[in-house]
Amino acid sequence: MKKYLSIFNISFQQEFAYRINFIMWRVRNVLQIFLVFFLWDAVFKDPGRVVFGYNREGILTYVLGLIIVKSFVFSSKSMDVAGEISRGELSNYLVKPVSYFKYWITRDLSSKSLNLSFAFFETLFLFLILKPSFFIQTDPILLIFFLLSLILAFSLFSLLLFIVSAITFWMPEAGWGAHFLISIISVEFMSGALFPLDILPHFLQRIVNYTPFPYMVFFPMQVYLGKILDSAAVKGILISGLWILVLYFIMTLVWRKGLKVYEAYGR
Amino acid sequence: MVKFRIPMRQVLYFKLMDESSEKAILVEHLSKNFEVIEKKEGFLGSISSLVSAKKKVVRALKNASFSLREGELVGFIGPNGAGKTTALKVLSGLLYPTAGFVQVLGFDPWDKKPEFLKKIALVMGQKNQLWWDLPAQETFELNRAIYEIPKNKYKENLSELIELLQVRKLLNIQVRKLSLGQRMRLELVASLLHHPSVLFLDEPTIGLDVVAQQKIRDFIFDYNKRYKATIILTSHNMRDLIDLTKRIIVIDKGGIIFDGKLTDLVGEFAKEKIIKVYFSKEVDVRKLEGVGKLKRFDFPQAIISVPREASAVAAAELLQNFPIADLTIEEEAIEDIIRRVFRGEKIKKVRH
Repeated sequence: MKKYLSIFNISFQQEFAYRINFIMWRVRNVLQIFLVFFLWDAVFKDPGRVVFGYNREGILTYVLGLIIVKSFVFSSKSMDVAGEISRGELSNYLVKPVSYFKYWITRDLSSKSLNLSFAFFETLFLFLILKPSFFIQTDPILLIFFLLSLILAFSLFSLLLFIVSAITFWMPEAGWGAHFLISIISVEFMSGALFPLDILPHFLQRIVNYTPFPYMVFFPMQVYLGKILDSAAVKGILISGLWILVLYFIMTLVWRKGLKVYEAYGR
Repeated sequence: MVKFRIPMRQVLYFKLMDESSEKAILVEHLSKNFEVIEKKEGFLGSISSLVSAKKKVVRALKNASFSLREGELVGFIGPNGAGKTTALKVLSGLLYPTAGFVQVLGFDPWDKKPEFLKKIALVMGQKNQLWWDLPAQETFELNRAIYEIPKNKYKENLSELIELLQVRKLLNIQVRKLSLGQRMRLELVASLLHHPSVLFLDEPTIGLDVVAQQKIRDFIFDYNKRYKATIILTSHNMRDLIDLTKRIIVIDKGGIIFDGKLTDLVGEFAKEKIIKVYFSKEVDVRKLEGVGKLKRFDFPQAIISVPREASAVAAAELLQNFPIADLTIEEEAIEDIIRRVFRGEKIKKVRH
């Protein structure tokens, strides 16, 4: 455990070594929030308007919440994994008594906690100037469900990323393309990060609900908004929990096979 | 009467344990194949190889066997792509062997057991583990945690390594700002903090200037002596081999073609002998060409290389036909032989 605390620590410092980078990244986030806010604020100028079952307050909460949830779930340091495999840098970790998967999870948590703490103050600041009509969930049970679903979402995404990155073992050059296809297109599209999934036709929603994707963004958001309650929330958490088990199994299998064909390139 | 029966498998196991207790590294009939996809040239070529990829099997190691005793320092030499690095990678558990038996300190490297990994280190001259944007000190701290080195042991090891490699002033400088030689020394510190008893060094002096090379060499020598560490070293640097290793293993095209004392390499592989003569009077250089390959002529001295088996005849011929003050027959220099090995020139064992 202490091992990973140390990794957490050095990762944190690394983040600060790129101070300018980090600040730019945060500025970009704030600008993004401004942009999204003014866009949807304009669309919903008429306070009585309801589109796709979302009123002004609902959609603003969805898009702003989206930014926060996305930055927690998707902003992943482990995007580098595919690159580390193809450049052979994976070797550095394999010869050490450390779990590569846990190493990256730790680095992710480190970067996320840093980003989150900044995001918290930024959001507070924006809240004070924009004074948006933001829906604040007060039901403690739903908040707990929301937090739980966020943790599950992060686990799902990390596992999926690790599985997709393993393609690099067999296709060192094609790894990035596959990465892009799966992690960007399917995850962004099917997770609800682009639009709320409940605007899809019902039968499509049904199908999508049995894939791991909606549990990465859409589901946590719906729980927060109070659109998914009690038994439905429990069902969703069970499904994503099940997916975590399945994906974990697939990941260990794929990595075990991948490491056997790993060529430790570099020379 | 009570009979104890030990199952056969158990007996074999004991036998194996017994052998491996003396051997730090045991490799038997090791083979490693790589599958390589052949790419056709150009844009259309890459598209067509997407559809119908031609696979080729590269046999990086073929049926290689060798073993090292504890505390031995052995050099691997051979031309580029001979399989030296592949062997080190199999021994440190990075590559999965296609066939054969590998044991390091009683472990199967592939299992990557933490107890095993804590006892070895793989240092590659062209790979770095130091965090680029932070001072090396931070990577050291990280390794302390990863290898679970107790605090006081860590302090002791660190100050010792700092002393041996003379890097005290470099600890708090961002790694990106260091020179290659400084970085390499710090890489060594990072790799050895946990005091590995088995060390795989892949081209540790590559790209370094002469002074830095010497520092690394002195250090390897010291580390081996001080801790009885078992070390395998690959290098293209002649001095590394001559200064450090008594025993060398020559690998070519994935197979081991020589395993023995560095000094015996000459006897095994020298195809030629060197005749040095001093003339008492001017001679016709062209006539000398008839005797053997004239390597240098600088009156009164001439150096001629001749096939081993013909050396006596050549010497006699020289003595008979030329005004000779002095004549010696010498073995080929070890450097020349190693150079030939590096060039991948076909070297065959010579029968005596």
